[in-house]
Amino acid sequence: MKKLIAVLMLGLVLFIAACSEEGDTEEPETSGATDSDTAEASAETSEATGEKQTVTFWHSMGGAGQEALNAIVDSYNNSQDAVQVNAEYQGTYDEALTKFNSVAGTDSVPNMIQTFEIGTMSMINSGSIVPIQELINADGYDMNGLEENIVNYYSLDGTFYSMPFNSSTPVMYYNKDAFEAAGLDPEAPPETFEEVEEASKAIVESNPDMKGFALQAYGWLYEQLLANQGALLLNNDNGRTDTPTEIGWTEEEGKSIFEWVKRMVDDETFANYGTNGDNMMAGFLAGDVSMFLQSSASSRDVIDHAPFEVGIAFLPHPEAKERAGVVIGGASLWMIDGKSVEEQNAAWDFMKYLQTPEIQAEWHVGTGYFAINPAAYDEQVVKDAYVEMPQLQVTVDQLQATEASYATQGALMDMIPEGRKIMETALETVYNGGDVDDAYNTAVDQFNAAIEQANAARGE
Amino acid sequence: MSLENIVIQDAQIGQINFEQVKKRQRAKSFIKGMLFLLPSIILFSIFLFYPLGRTIYLSFFLTNAAGETTVFIGWQNYVNLFTSPIFMQSMKSTFLFVLYTVPFTIIISLFLAMIANEKLKGIGFFRTVYSSTMGISVAAASVFWLYLFHPSIGLLNMILETLGIDGIGWLTDPDWALFAVSITTIWMNIGFTFLILLGGLQSIDSYLYESADIDGAGYFYKVRRITIPMLSPTLFFVVTVTIINAFQTFGQIDILTQGGPVNSTNLVVYSIYREAFVNYKFGSASAQAVLLFIIILIMTFLQFKFGERKVHYQ
Repeated sequence: MKKLIAVLMLGLVLFIAACSEEGDTEEPETSGATDSDTAEASAETSEATGEKQTVTFWHSMGGAGQEALNAIVDSYNNSQDAVQVNAEYQGTYDEALTKFNSVAGTDSVPNMIQTFEIGTMSMINSGSIVPIQELINADGYDMNGLEENIVNYYSLDGTFYSMPFNSSTPVMYYNKDAFEAAGLDPEAPPETFEEVEEASKAIVESNPDMKGFALQAYGWLYEQLLANQGALLLNNDNGRTDTPTEIGWTEEEGKSIFEWVKRMVDDETFANYGTNGDNMMAGFLAGDVSMFLQSSASSRDVIDHAPFEVGIAFLPHPEAKERAGVVIGGASLWMIDGKSVEEQNAAWDFMKYLQTPEIQAEWHVGTGYFAINPAAYDEQVVKDAYVEMPQLQVTVDQLQATEASYATQGALMDMIPEGRKIMETALETVYNGGDVDDAYNTAVDQFNAAIEQANAARGE
Repeated sequence: MSLENIVIQDAQIGQINFEQVKKRQRAKSFIKGMLFLLPSIILFSIFLFYPLGRTIYLSFFLTNAAGETTVFIGWQNYVNLFTSPIFMQSMKSTFLFVLYTVPFTIIISLFLAMIANEKLKGIGFFRTVYSSTMGISVAAASVFWLYLFHPSIGLLNMILETLGIDGIGWLTDPDWALFAVSITTIWMNIGFTFLILLGGLQSIDSYLYESADIDGAGYFYKVRRITIPMLSPTLFFVVTVTIINAFQTFGQIDILTQGGPVNSTNLVVYSIYREAFVNYKFGSASAQAVLLFIIILIMTFLQFKFGERKVHYQ
């Protein structure tokens, strides 16, 4: 008997060992891209003869974006013999920025890093970057060829700090088939908060299993809904003329979003997916909700996977306010300091290559991000894609309809990631039946406290 | 006379020598001992003591995004924590989480271990199944549960709906989210706890049961009087480890809820992560880490003081 138990135990141990090996291999699957990329990169480096200038490029594009980006990097490496770009995936924007902060000032820094728009101020404050303005001046490069609204975000006091690369704006996705079934005009999507409410009611009436509208508790969307009313996020012109000291929106502007959501929650036409964007998208694709807001960068994914016809519309605004437009979101490329001039020039050459119309056209169609270079919209690839998916064009129209102002230029400050979390908590409170006034006032207090502390931490 | 003197002198010299030799030998054995300990002292210093000291140091400062100290603010980080409703909420959630997960994990695993300890044909299969969650990584398990919890296409809500009950917002309703994360954690921890408890059960000498059988003891009497006391060292170990693990939960929170909804699952370790690597407030994050360290220290101390009394060592 003892022997049998011993054998059993041994078998168990072996099984567990096998299992845990299996378990271990699961993890790299998510981060596997990093490893294979690095491996590829080092393989390529060793292949490269000494003449080639290597450029290390840290990015945060996973999934479809990574495939599209790797294709572009390969095409660049094959197009000339002087420069070899090694693209390395470093996790999400947050993770990449943390990694960068920990190696800043050492030899391990990359030549280029892709950072999200709200990291702009942290990058400038870090002091380990070269403003691309220096390279623009040295090279005589013309930034005017690029999309004005995108370029506006990344220039501060007339200086360009980073090269815009992947830019997107929020749009409203809606289910055309459901609109038709509810007797709504699928070609005339709701434009204002009030119209969204009406449409939601009609949808729920015609199909009790489908909710009308979903708003992911995502600080970025809150910022966009503010900007669309012409409201500032931070004072001192969104932090563009001086360091912000408090919030920039008025109570009426800030609360309108909460009250809008509250009315739909009370009508039971609102679908609560919390902070999880993937769940919201899955819910939309499964026909559980008829409208939702999300980045235009998802448009290709949504259109490809929906079993019904998808409509894309402009971001809604309160009836009492004019539409002011959207803030550019996404990420830009930063040139890192402390590298040789040859390496910098090589990285600059790659940045310029990314802005060519052909590459931007490929990028736009492959992902749903904008073309930074408007000339890309004349490329045949884009024209063909628009015939097939006319919705893609709406995202571009919305950007071009945006009027340049401090509100739509977007806010600059290093505490914005924290501010987003604060607004997300407040939104979730309302989704779960909390009081609008309480949630709003708590959020504003916390937001102001975060600004104050961020200013104190800079020790100025 | 002179001879006596010499003898006394000799004795004195001998005594002095003896003391010196003793001292020298003690020093020698001290150095030898240190040499043996050196590898672990070096490793501990580099990976534990230095970071611990550094964390305490950081907790008195404000920092920039790179984690460099900028302004000394004394105890202000701690004061802010104790007045922050968010941190208080996160402490409350953490203790609730420990309360939900630890007892259930241990009771369920103990039950499974006891039925798996019966000598039946094919019991190895069941032992393997019961311990199999140990082989699944936190990330994989969380993603698996994420799908079960999905509000519209998740299996759990589908079952509820076929029973005519409204679906539950498992991860979006603040009243349910902590509960949902606890279920996931219990499920994940069962494998490990089961295995340790089964090991403990197997090491109980069978003669104890045999003599109890001769005395005509019933099954539950044997469980109460033999199994539980003999298992107590293992149970004590399992309780301590499970509590510490529960305090340090991170992976499933990051994947399932990211601290939401309305901070209801923002457990301390996740809150530290968010403070340091999303908000770049390393000072405040360090203060939280120090508090967590103190809490776990106190909990473990209390357990050894009060829990160990009931432990029966053979």
